[in-house]
Order: sequence, then structure tokens, then C-alpha cells
Amino acid sequence: MWLPLIGLLVGFTVGFLADLRVPDEYSNYLSIAILAAFDTLIGGLRAHLQQTYDEIVFITGFFFNIILATTLTFLGVHLGVDLYLAAVFAFGVRLFQNIAVIRRLLLTEWMERRQNREKS
Amino acid sequence: MKKPKNNRVILSFICFIFGMMLAFSYQYTKKEAAKRNVTDRQWQKEYEYRQQLIQIQKENRKLKNELVQKQNEVTEMENALANQQKAHTNLAKQAEKLRMYVGESKVKGKGIEVTLSDASYIPSEQSATDYIVHEQHVFKVIHELLISGAEAIAINGQRISHRSYIVCNGPVIEVDGTQHAAPFIISAIGNPDVLISALNIAGGITDQLVQDNITVKIDRKEEIVLDPIFPVHRP
Repeated sequence: MWLPLIGLLVGFTVGFLADLRVPDEYSNYLSIAILAAFDTLIGGLRAHLQQTYDEIVFITGFFFNIILATTLTFLGVHLGVDLYLAAVFAFGVRLFQNIAVIRRLLLTEWMERRQNREKS
Repeated sequence: MKKPKNNRVILSFICFIFGMMLAFSYQYTKKEAAKRNVTDRQWQKEYEYRQQLIQIQKENRKLKNELVQKQNEVTEMENALANQQKAHTNLAKQAEKLRMYVGESKVKGKGIEVTLSDASYIPSEQSATDYIVHEQHVFKVIHELLISGAEAIAINGQRISHRSYIVCNGPVIEVDGTQHAAPFIISAIGNPDVLISALNIAGGITDQLVQDNITVKIDRKEEIVLDPIFPVHRP
């Protein structure tokens, strides 16, 4: 249960200690990739809570979303169209939807638990 | 049971990557923010300082130009002053020289001394005047000296100028109001050789004076100092 959290912390620390500087022109890609990754993680969490979690879908989704978002941004930069806005919009909307679903699921679970406790 | 564990490991790996990305982004954002912050805070100040610097440099340049101009002026003035001074010195020198000639200043130089004394032996009482020095003898000597280039002449230490007069006043002679008695020492500054030979020309002054029974003594002097005519007026 705690392993993913520990992984997250370790990754954060390593990223900090590595002191790896991202060049200015790639900062856009990094932010969009983070958004994609975050979206995928939240999506995975929701799927987990809905008991529909599939590992393959999750992993492919994680990398594919990142690559797609980055590619979109790259294209946007080279075409002069702010295509990364599309990615931001799509991921942002999905992020909010997923978080709302997660909240509802957790709320339902909590209510059920309370009802059970009151009953017993 | 095997599947969830595998699942966790992969999830952890993905979380690891996500964490790293987050860290990069965070660092980048922090750096960027710091940079922007610095510029935000200091841009105004920097601009202000730069403006001040430019102002000061401008002022400096202006002042420097002024300084150069002033220095040029000073140099000009100094040159003018130097010229003036030169002119003054020349004038002063000239004036000094003229004063020497006129007899208003003390002079010093090589020259001769001519001593005219009355004859030591007087044969008879009646012809005494034939044996004493008269003013015309002094005149002759002085004229001869002047002709032969004497630069300054004095009788018994009294300077003679172009306005001097010498008159006979009985047994003595009067030079510019001062009485002098024999022997008369006539000092002259000039080239001693020339003066002496001028006086000693055959049939010249010395001969004439000797003819008039006057004792003539001519001395060559290495240094004669003659006082000015009016020592009081000497500046």
C-alpha cells in the first residue's frame, strides 16, 4: 500500500538531488508531461476505486499520454499554434472529472461505513 | 496474490518517474521565479542607477571639457604673462644700462685712474698759476677719455654726467657745485689699454699736461667702483 507513496517520495528526492536543470525551451514540455502524468495517475486511482483497474491500460496510458502531450506541444511550437492548450484543456477537464468521481466514491464508501457503524 | 504485488511495483516505478518530473519542474519553476523576482525587484533600481550613472558621466564629460578649456585659457594667460615679463626684463635691463650711462647707478669695471697734481717745484712766486692744475686740464683729460670710449668718469670719486659742469673757483675747481682741490684723481671705466694709449699719444694730452708743469700719473686698475651721481635717489 505504501510502496507507491515511497516511490513517489524517492523519485522526488532523487530529482531534487540530481540537480538536473531543464533548459528553458523544454520547460513547456515538462509541464505538459507532468499534467499528463498526473491525469493518468488520478485516472488510475479512480479505476482502482471502481475496481476496473487494468495494469496494461494504466502503464500504456501513462507513457502514451505523456508522449502525446509532448508531441502536441512540439507541433504547436513549430506550427505557431498553441496546441498544448488542447492538451491542458483535455487533461484538466479529465483531471477534475476523475477527482470528482473519486470524491464521490470515497464519500459513498464513508457514508456506507457510517451507516454500518450506526446499525451495529 | 502475485498480480497485485507486481502491480504495486510497477505503480511505484511510475510514481518514481512522476516524482522526478515533479522535482524537475519544481526546481525549474523556483529558479525561474527567483530570476523573475530578482529582475522585478531590481529592474527599477538598476534602471535608476544606470540613469544616474549616465547623468554623472555626462556631467563628468562636461566638466572635463570645461577643465580643458580653462587649462587652455590658463596656458594662454601664462604665455602672455611670460611675454610681458620678458618684455619687462628687457626694459629693466635696458633701463639699468641707460642708468649706468647716465650715472644714476653704481658701476664697476676695469679702467684707469689719472692723477693730476700740482707741480711739486715752483721756481717763483709770481708764476704760481703756471704750475697748478686748472679746470681746462681736467676738461682735456675728460674729453680725451670720453673720446676714446670711457664709459663712466668721476673726479675725486664724483661721477660726471652729460650735464655736469666744471668751473674754476680760485685755487679749487667746482664740479656740479662740489669743490675739489688738487690733486685730482680722474677715474674712468673703459678699456684700459685704449684709454692709456689715447692719453699717451705723442703730442697728446699727457704731453700737453707735462708741458704745463703738471704731474700726471696714469694707473691701470683692474676694478673701479663708481658711485651714482645722486646716491640718495638710487632706488
